[in-house]
Amino acid sequence: MKVSYSYLLEQFSDCDAILEDIKKLVKTGDFTLGKPLEEFEHLFAQYIGRDYSIGVGTGTDALRLSLIALGIGYGDEVITAVNTFYSTAAAITTVGAKPVFVDVGDDYVMNTDLIESTISQKTKAIMPVHLNGCPVDMQKVMTIAQTYNLQIVEDTCQAIGAEINGKKAGCFGSTGCFSLHPLKNINVWGDGGLILTDSKKIRDKLIILRNNGLINRDECEVYAYNCRLDTLQAIVGIHVIKDVNKITQNRVENGKIYDEALAQIKGVTIPPRKKNVKNVHHNYVITVERRDELLRYLIRNGIDAKIHYPIPLHLQKASEFLGYKEGDFPVAEYQAKHILSLPVHQHLTDEQKYYVIDKIREFYT
Amino acid sequence: MSNKIPVKYIDLPLQYSHLKLDLLKRIETIFESGQFILGSECIKLEDQFAKYCNSEYAVGVGNGTDALFLVMKALGIGINDEVITAPNSFIATAGAIANTGAIPVFVDVRDDYNINPDLIEEAVTKHTKAIIPVHLTGRPADMNAIIQIAKDHGLFIIEDAAQAIGAEYFGKKVGSFGIAGCFSLHPLKNLNAGGDAGIITTSDDELYHTLIKLRNHGLRNRDECDFWGYNSRLDSLQAAIIRLKLEYLEEWTETIRKIAHRYHEKLKDVVDAPVDKKYEKSVYHLFMVQCKQRDKLQKYLLSQGIESKIHYPIPIHLQKPAKKLGYKKGDFPVAESQAQKILSLPIYPELNISQIETVIKNIKYFYSHSDKK
Repeated sequence: MKVSYSYLLEQFSDCDAILEDIKKLVKTGDFTLGKPLEEFEHLFAQYIGRDYSIGVGTGTDALRLSLIALGIGYGDEVITAVNTFYSTAAAITTVGAKPVFVDVGDDYVMNTDLIESTISQKTKAIMPVHLNGCPVDMQKVMTIAQTYNLQIVEDTCQAIGAEINGKKAGCFGSTGCFSLHPLKNINVWGDGGLILTDSKKIRDKLIILRNNGLINRDECEVYAYNCRLDTLQAIVGIHVIKDVNKITQNRVENGKIYDEALAQIKGVTIPPRKKNVKNVHHNYVITVERRDELLRYLIRNGIDAKIHYPIPLHLQKASEFLGYKEGDFPVAEYQAKHILSLPVHQHLTDEQKYYVIDKIREFYT
Repeated sequence: MSNKIPVKYIDLPLQYSHLKLDLLKRIETIFESGQFILGSECIKLEDQFAKYCNSEYAVGVGNGTDALFLVMKALGIGINDEVITAPNSFIATAGAIANTGAIPVFVDVRDDYNINPDLIEEAVTKHTKAIIPVHLTGRPADMNAIIQIAKDHGLFIIEDAAQAIGAEYFGKKVGSFGIAGCFSLHPLKNLNAGGDAGIITTSDDELYHTLIKLRNHGLRNRDECDFWGYNSRLDSLQAAIIRLKLEYLEEWTETIRKIAHRYHEKLKDVVDAPVDKKYEKSVYHLFMVQCKQRDKLQKYLLSQGIESKIHYPIPIHLQKPAKKLGYKKGDFPVAESQAQKILSLPIYPELNISQIETVIKNIKYFYSHSDKK
């Protein structure tokens, strides 16, 4: 049996309705910004529960433009998790600031107890990453941010629909940043991203920043970027977000099925699941013994398991100039050698899920 | 005048109606591959595009602004550096320079709307790292003179070819003169995607390999990151659209050039209309004339159902962010004077003969009428 990580073929096996709307767009000839984008931005803001939503080119750009809009740049420091995807650290460094890494907890997200010790006079912001769909303890992050007068930019790229005490991830920071990359829970047919905020001031800045600094066709307010969410992709987004509850629910249920079955297997450790938290399982990650062997075994059996990510950011060549070394973040380093991501997408059949479970059990017995 | 025939400034729906079936087929192949970003469509496009521009390599990126920005980053241009360019381009040229941390230094233009090589040298300082000639309106800048200056002072040339896909200078395609050529594939360009898209040409191995990583988070492979980069990739879907249109590009360009020659022939007595010099092949992304009573003419044309545009009414050095750099009115008299007189007429392959004649007739009518006043 084959269990693939990607679900795009199933998800878009019938996309006639989307193509119809794209044909309508072609008839207007209006491919940049415009009404469909506004509609999608509105739907997304409504779903997450924030006042404003600004479509941008990518999730990376969502983070970058947020930092720029908040005035963060050269000489500043931004605190983030050491085990995230490259773009979190890249967004920080490419605006000129320095990423300061913090180790993670058993749940693979930022250990908020370690934040305070990394704060310096240069710290301007905390960028919590709701990795794998699991929200960071935002109560704690917000208390720290208030105490030290720091901004919060939430990297919500992997956590559309995740919740803490019923409040959605992406609603806590000055901005919440989302990715619409084809392999995200809510996805489009290319790169795309969104920034959510309740501040009209930040929203007004971002509207200009994403469109070459223009306040109208002919007048430029500030040198800026070309970083727009394609109108064509917004149309795809309008269709996909209609299914957000179904997609999320399926992934949450898949996670539960895995949790219950895999907890029985010696060699597998399920991360702690907090009661007040809704993990939307963008990636379903477990900690396992003999990881590389298991990975090979699963792949040999047609199961598309993955590692998110095998090398923590502080050990990447790109981080050399930051002066970190092996041993600095023991939890993340241990996890990098032991974590495994299983296919968890909304189109998995029961048969496929139990096949995955059986193969893991088989491996350890 | 009676018998109005409407002439839109651009008619993309008409362009797509010719391509419809082919295009849907191409899009289907994307679904079959399951690759929505970069992927084989992008690789094929890069290959074809490089060949088309007589370059070794092409690198698909998110948009034309990013093309300029990423090339400068890859060449190490940044804080304390200066980059020379024209003050009459789209704002993105200066924006891309400023976003690297470098300072845009403007040099006035000539009658052909392109940077005046005679004025470049006095703008060179010890901080200058590169010249970005803009092949504005689809007409090549005077590259021989620019290349000589760049050689003399050890500067990079980065061509802003956003408006000039296919243009030639002494029989050589733009994008192949500098260390890199930066193209926009924005929906309103001669070769256009269904959203934002851009592509870079280069024959420099090192630059190519840096760009490939720089556009994709600095990644060497899925798990290893060499440096902190950007996310600026060409969507497969847009690559597929571009690949299809690339097949028509030569034909479209020839049609556009014929329209341009017709406009020039018929309008040269009433307005200052562009025409190719012997050694250049312009692709007329814009057919930009200079004319008396510009605003009145534009209004009159619109009253007759003819759309026209101004590219651009406010030169870059008079925009707010450049004023902060110390530029002021009077610094670039040619560009400033042109900004008062320029008007871009509708020009695209789908224009029909009666539309072209309508534009010509109405402009002539306007001037014969206004002369009598």
